[in-house]
Amino acid sequence: MIKNFFDKAKNSHTWKENLVNLTTQLLNYLIILIIALFIGAVVMFLSGKDPIAAYAALWQGAFGNGYRFADTLDRSVIMILAGIAGSIAFRTNITNLGLEGQLYIGAFAAAWAGFTFTNLPAIVHIPLCMIAGIIGGALWTLPVLYLKMRWKIPELVPTLMLNYIAIRLTDYLIAFPFRDPAAPMAGSPLIAATAKLPKLIKGSTINIGFIIAIVLIFVTYWFLFKTKIGYELRMVGLNQDFAAAAGLPVKRSIFLAMTLSGGVIGLGGALMIQGFFGRFLGGFSSGYGWDGFMIAIIAQNHPFAVFPTALFYGALANGALTMQSVTGVPQAVVAMVKGTLVLFVTVKVFVENIRKGLRKWAM
Amino acid sequence: MGNVDLSSILTLSLFAAALRMATPIIFATMGGIFSSHTGIFNVALEGFMLIGSFFAVLGSVRTGSPYGGLLYAVIACLVAALVFAILHLELKANPIIVGLAMNIVAIGLTNYLLTATFNVWGVYKTDLIIGFQEVQIPLIHQIPIIGELLSGHFPLVYFSFVSVYIVYLVLYKTPFGFHLRSVGENIDAAESIGVNTKRMKYYGLLVSGLLCAFGGTFLSLSYLTMFSEDMTAGRGWLAMAAINFGRMRPVPSMIAGLIFGFADALAVRLQQFGLPSQIVVMLPYLMTVIVLFISAVVAERHKKSLVAKQNKIDIATPLQP
Repeated sequence: MIKNFFDKAKNSHTWKENLVNLTTQLLNYLIILIIALFIGAVVMFLSGKDPIAAYAALWQGAFGNGYRFADTLDRSVIMILAGIAGSIAFRTNITNLGLEGQLYIGAFAAAWAGFTFTNLPAIVHIPLCMIAGIIGGALWTLPVLYLKMRWKIPELVPTLMLNYIAIRLTDYLIAFPFRDPAAPMAGSPLIAATAKLPKLIKGSTINIGFIIAIVLIFVTYWFLFKTKIGYELRMVGLNQDFAAAAGLPVKRSIFLAMTLSGGVIGLGGALMIQGFFGRFLGGFSSGYGWDGFMIAIIAQNHPFAVFPTALFYGALANGALTMQSVTGVPQAVVAMVKGTLVLFVTVKVFVENIRKGLRKWAM
Repeated sequence: MGNVDLSSILTLSLFAAALRMATPIIFATMGGIFSSHTGIFNVALEGFMLIGSFFAVLGSVRTGSPYGGLLYAVIACLVAALVFAILHLELKANPIIVGLAMNIVAIGLTNYLLTATFNVWGVYKTDLIIGFQEVQIPLIHQIPIIGELLSGHFPLVYFSFVSVYIVYLVLYKTPFGFHLRSVGENIDAAESIGVNTKRMKYYGLLVSGLLCAFGGTFLSLSYLTMFSEDMTAGRGWLAMAAINFGRMRPVPSMIAGLIFGFADALAVRLQQFGLPSQIVVMLPYLMTVIVLFISAVVAERHKKSLVAKQNKIDIATPLQP
C-alpha cells in the first residue's frame, strides 16, 4: 500500500522535472563547495599563508599522477565504508555518532584475528579477519542498543561516550596484554602475511579493499531499496510511529540498522589494518568515524552518492599530506573545510532559489 | 598497586579537585540549558569550549593578562554562536547537523591556528601564557575542613557556581526567563502572547556561547596553562548528559556536573596509585553512561506513579537533511 503510493509519486515526475532536480542538487553542492573552499582560503590568507599554492599542492597530492590517484582511491575505501555505515543508521533515523569507537573495536578485533592465527591459508585468513572486524564493530553497538531499546535513552550521548571508551580500551590492550615492544609506536604485533590484502598495483597502497568497497556500495543499494528488510528500515526512519502503526517491526529494524552500521565500519577498520597498517596502531584513525558522519550527511544517506563524496574526502585526506609538506600549510585546514561543507549542507536557501531559477528557464 | 586503602584516595584534596574538574562542565551545562529552554538542543558545546580554550591562550599571550584571554575567548565564542544562530535561524539549517559540524570545524580551526600562529604541533605550553591565580577567601580559608575544600580555588571556579544561581534567577524569576522558556515549551503560544521567538533563540545560543567561553578559558588558563589539541576531551558531551539528567533544571544539572567532575578527579587520583592510565581515564565517560542509565530507570519508576511530565526536547532529532 504505502510502497505503491511512493512509487506513483515518483513516476509522476516528468523527465524535465527530474533534470531540474538533479541540476539543482549539483549546483547546490557546487555553491557549498565554493563557500567552504573560500572560507578555508580566508583563514589561510589571514594567517599569512598562500591559499592558492596550498590548494594547488592539495590537488597535486591527490591527483598529480597515476600512483597518487591510486593512493587517493585507497584512502577513499575507509571513507566509503564509513559513509555507508553512517547512511544505514541515519536512514533508520538512528543518530549513530559512535562510528569512531566501532571502527577502533572492529580494527582491533581484525588485528587480533590477524596475529593470533598464524598457519591458516590466505583464502581463509583474510575473510576471517574481516568477519572479526564486522563482529567487533557490531558488538560495540550493543550497549547503546540496550540503553535505547530498553530504557529509551537517546543514542546520541551514549554513542559518543563509547567512542572515548573504545579509544582508551584499545590503547590499554596494546599497552599491556597485546603489546609489541618491536612496534615503532604503541601497537599490536604484526598480523600474519596470510591476513594481508593483496595489492592491486605495484607502487601504490591500493588493494582489493577498494573492490570490496565498490561491491558494498551496490549491495547496500540493493539492500536498502530492493529488499523488504531495507524497506522497513527506511520506513522506520521516515516515521517511526507510522511504521509501528502499519505493523512494521520497528525494534528489529532499529537493532538491525545499528548493528549493520557498526559492522560496516568494523569491516572498514579490518580493511585498514589488513590493507594498510599491518598491525593495530594506537590512535590510528584520524577521525574516520566523523568523516563517515559527514559523508553520509552530504550524500543524503544514498549509497550511490556516498561514492563521489567519499572519493572527494579521500582526495582531501591524501592531498593534505602533500600540501603540508610542500607549502607548510597545516593539514588541519582540510578538517575545517570539510566541517564547513557540512555546516551549509542542510541550508535550504540555495536549493530553493536555484530550483526557482531553473524552472523559470526550463519550462 | 599494592594494597591501597580507601581513605588515602578519598581525601579532601580529591573533593577540592572534583570542584575544579566540574567547573568547565558546569559552565557548558548552564550554557546548554539556556539554549535548550528555547528549543534548540545545542550539540556544539564541545566545539564552543574548544574555541574558547584556544582563543583564551591566544589572548593571554597577546595581552599578557588572563582577563585579556577571557575577553578573546568570549568574543570568539560569541562569533561562533552567532554563526550557528544565523545558519539555523536565518538559513534554516538542521541544528543538530550544524552543531556537530561546528565541533568538527572547531577542531580543524584550533589545530590549524595552533600551528599557523605559534608554530607548534599538538601542544602549546610556554611561560608567555599568563593564567589566573588561585584566590584565598578571607575568613573561610582559616576554617579547618571547609577552608581546604572551598578556599584557594581559581576565580572561575567560584564564578561557575555563581553562574548556576544567575541562570536559575534569570530563567525562573524574571519575565525575560519566562518568555525564553515559553519558546521551548510551546512556540505557538509564545508567539501568540507577543514573544519574539527568534530573538529568544538568538539569546539562548549566544548565552551558551558566552558560558562555554568561560568553560574553555578555565581549561586553558586555570586548570592548565597550555593549549593542546582537542583539550576539551568530551566535556561538552558530558555537559549534554548533565542537562539530560537534570531535565534542563539548573541545580540538578549542576549536581550531575559535579558527579562527572568527581569521576574526572578520581581518574587522575587513581592514576597516581599506579592503575593503568588508559583504564582510569575511561571513568568519566563510563560514569556518564551510568548516570544516564540511572536517570532513565528513575524516570521510568517516576512515570509509573505520576502522570508523565512532558519533556519537550528530543535530542534524537532526525539526521536526514
